[in-house]
Amino acid sequence: MRVLVRILTLLLGLALAGVGALLAVEVAWTWARPVQGPLLVPWPQWRDRLAELTWQSGSVRLVAAAVAVAGLLLLLFAATARRKDVALLDPGPGITVRTSPRSLARIVGARVRAEENVAAASVTATPKRVRVRAVSGLETEAHLRPRLLDVVAATLADLPLTRKPKVSVVVDSPKDRS
Amino acid sequence: MKPPSRAALARSYRVERVFTVLVGLAALLLGAAALVVGAGWLGTFRAARPVLDPIAVDTLRAWELPARIAAVVLGLLALVAGVLLAVRTLRRERHPDLALDRTAGKRLLVTSGAIAEAIAADAERVAGVSRAKATVVGDAATPALRLSLWLRYGARVKDVWQEVDTAVLRRARESLGVETMPTAVRIELGAQEKQRVR
Repeated sequence: MRVLVRILTLLLGLALAGVGALLAVEVAWTWARPVQGPLLVPWPQWRDRLAELTWQSGSVRLVAAAVAVAGLLLLLFAATARRKDVALLDPGPGITVRTSPRSLARIVGARVRAEENVAAASVTATPKRVRVRAVSGLETEAHLRPRLLDVVAATLADLPLTRKPKVSVVVDSPKDRS
Repeated sequence: MKPPSRAALARSYRVERVFTVLVGLAALLLGAAALVVGAGWLGTFRAARPVLDPIAVDTLRAWELPARIAAVVLGLLALVAGVLLAVRTLRRERHPDLALDRTAGKRLLVTSGAIAEAIAADAERVAGVSRAKATVVGDAATPALRLSLWLRYGARVKDVWQEVDTAVLRRARESLGVETMPTAVRIELGAQEKQRVR
């Protein structure tokens, strides 16, 4: 999303520059030569059309809705364009250490899959929370879950994290269904 | 003010994000206001008025000279702001060279690429590091280092970290003759070994 915001800023900046240039040129041209008509943009036609339309007309409402939705999308893109790094303790002054949530998920996933009776596992991690979803054919949730919680806690304790994420483990086992 | 080591973590996108938020907010508010007027919530009479209101046009006619000057100035300002913004997004991140000696006649400049390569090669020798990449960022007055480390699975982060701090970064500071070197370290854990295509 960060690249998207950068591209959007480029496009919006170019649009702003273009509209500004056209505005200045048209106003200056009409000021200097009032009788010759518009230079680049047929603005007298646009003016007449806008004078005909009322705020109630369908096309005005449609354009207004489209503009509002586009604004909402821009806000959404800007909100999701932040980095979600996991902070590690700084080893010394002037040094900042970060890792990615994906790294966290990767090592937790590897440790969980290495446990016995775990057939598959998926992990999602954020700086605040680590969610583990494990599949086991041989053990029930009541047996496996405490063990996996310990493993994940031990893995996270090995890392110099500034804040310990909350851990949640869900075990999906056919034995629980019978 | 962010500490320089934190600022070196990644290229800053603050201007881009703030601009996107402002444009988004303006579009949302304008669109919503037009919808409110069109729905007649501000009076059915107002909703039936033309979009290009004759009253507004008359006011502009009465103030023709100021309106024209304002329009031209506004257009030029928008042009300058838009071009500056576009240039800013297209500009590459700066990688400053380090001037070790500024006295005339015996200037000594270490290029950012040379520093980065040396530090990365040094960091790759640390046990547990499978790949390292270093870049010099910031401006020439306050250069900072961005060091990305890919650790093998099972590497102990605390040990790697200790050695990077006491050996790699200390050597870098000593050889460059600087007291402090703000450093941002990005660690990727459990990285796959780099596969060479033969």
